[in-house]
Amino acid sequence: MTAIRRLPVLIGLTTLVILAAFLFLPFSTDVQSTEPGCEEPGLLDAGCETGRAEMSTLVAAVRAKAPPLPEKDTCLHCHLAGAETDLWTPLLRWALFGAAGLVFTYGVYRSASVWRTGTPWTPLTRRTAGWIDQRYHLSEPVAKILGKPVPRYALHWWYCLGGITAFLFVMQAVTGTMLAFYYKPTPEAAYASIQYIEAEVRFGTAVRAVHHWGSNGMIVLCLAHMLRVFIMGAYKAPRELNWVTGMLLLVLTLAFGFTGYLLPWDQRAFWATTVGTEIAGGVPVIGDLALVFLRGGWDVSGLTLSRFYGLHVLALPAATMALMGLHFLMVRRLGVARPV
Amino acid sequence: MAYTQSTSTTHPQSEDSIPFYPDHVRTEARVVAALIVAALAVGALGLAFPVGLGAPADPMETPAHVKPEWYFLALYQLLKFVPKTAGVLTPLLGLGLLMLWPFIDRRPDASPRVSRIRFATVGLFVVLLIALTLWGELS
Repeated sequence: MTAIRRLPVLIGLTTLVILAAFLFLPFSTDVQSTEPGCEEPGLLDAGCETGRAEMSTLVAAVRAKAPPLPEKDTCLHCHLAGAETDLWTPLLRWALFGAAGLVFTYGVYRSASVWRTGTPWTPLTRRTAGWIDQRYHLSEPVAKILGKPVPRYALHWWYCLGGITAFLFVMQAVTGTMLAFYYKPTPEAAYASIQYIEAEVRFGTAVRAVHHWGSNGMIVLCLAHMLRVFIMGAYKAPRELNWVTGMLLLVLTLAFGFTGYLLPWDQRAFWATTVGTEIAGGVPVIGDLALVFLRGGWDVSGLTLSRFYGLHVLALPAATMALMGLHFLMVRRLGVARPV
Repeated sequence: MAYTQSTSTTHPQSEDSIPFYPDHVRTEARVVAALIVAALAVGALGLAFPVGLGAPADPMETPAHVKPEWYFLALYQLLKFVPKTAGVLTPLLGLGLLMLWPFIDRRPDASPRVSRIRFATVGLFVVLLIALTLWGELS
């Protein structure tokens, strides 16, 4: 019975495979015919961009230090010129025909389903939701969450400050991951890897700028949110722990800024960290311990860099996410404080 | 819409509230969209004005002006004028006090006047902080 029911789908898929084979055939024959300009050996990034002949000494130095580019660079210009042979063209082709194939399969399945059952088509979203709900009984709690009323007094822009901080955290996580793909946390390679990000990585400068200014924005908004809560007296009972977790989140944000500042490993970073950790060393009783723990020794060194990196990308994000979760749960549970 | 209507028995919507979904979610989605546009604008500006790098770190050579990031600048400036131990302990104790503030200031606000007093206090403190930061930046 089920075999008969699935027959239309099978027919659709088979048709699709045959069709796809035909569509792909012409492309795979002319893959080799490329513009000679883009296959120029010797130049590391395939010489697609004209005017690269006179390289600045900086870029030359970066290239000497930086890891060599892959032999077949994925060049956007080349792709637009129709000469790209490596990554983007097949990817684009797969996305395009894959999407067309999915639409086609969906159409065949939908028609067959309507024809077989004689009932109107139920949207896929509702089908999926129903399938999940049958198993996990989620519709009731979800409806409760979505249906929760928002008081009108909580509709001013200053109630957005905390939410914007959370958004910025997500943005920092995304751009930070992008930077971590290229960054190398060793004293020998850190500086050169940042230069590599700025000079060679596509949109690397933009991603670094967003991460840099995002960190500043996060601190500003954290403080602004805190001031708003303080001024309005929203920290009072029953929201004491919201305030405490918020304060801890502010400390974590500052720690993010402090650890992240060292990572470029330039003079400013190095000496700001030297001075900053020295200040921590001025704390009575535990000062020396704090200093040695922060620096990984008595001096700022490669050990400091790697532990700041570890804190910046592992420990602080984990702690921040945990506290943010708690903070949000408490806000959700208690609602927004009514101003007096 | 049918969704919220069906749930109105658990959460009766009154005059002085709006439904979280879809009304408030829509507003929040707009805010997020605006923020994404702002982030893209920062990225585009960053292409023109890169963050840049200074000279490579050199433990042997101390530069003339060592400055921390702006958010530590006020503290840094304070440390120039007070003894080190006191200068380190004051912000730490302040932070601790601030963290425990809800357990110290426990009386519920009686009138909007209270929050106005807090506003003035905070304003004064912020102005002081900004002044210290600017001073640190310029010195």
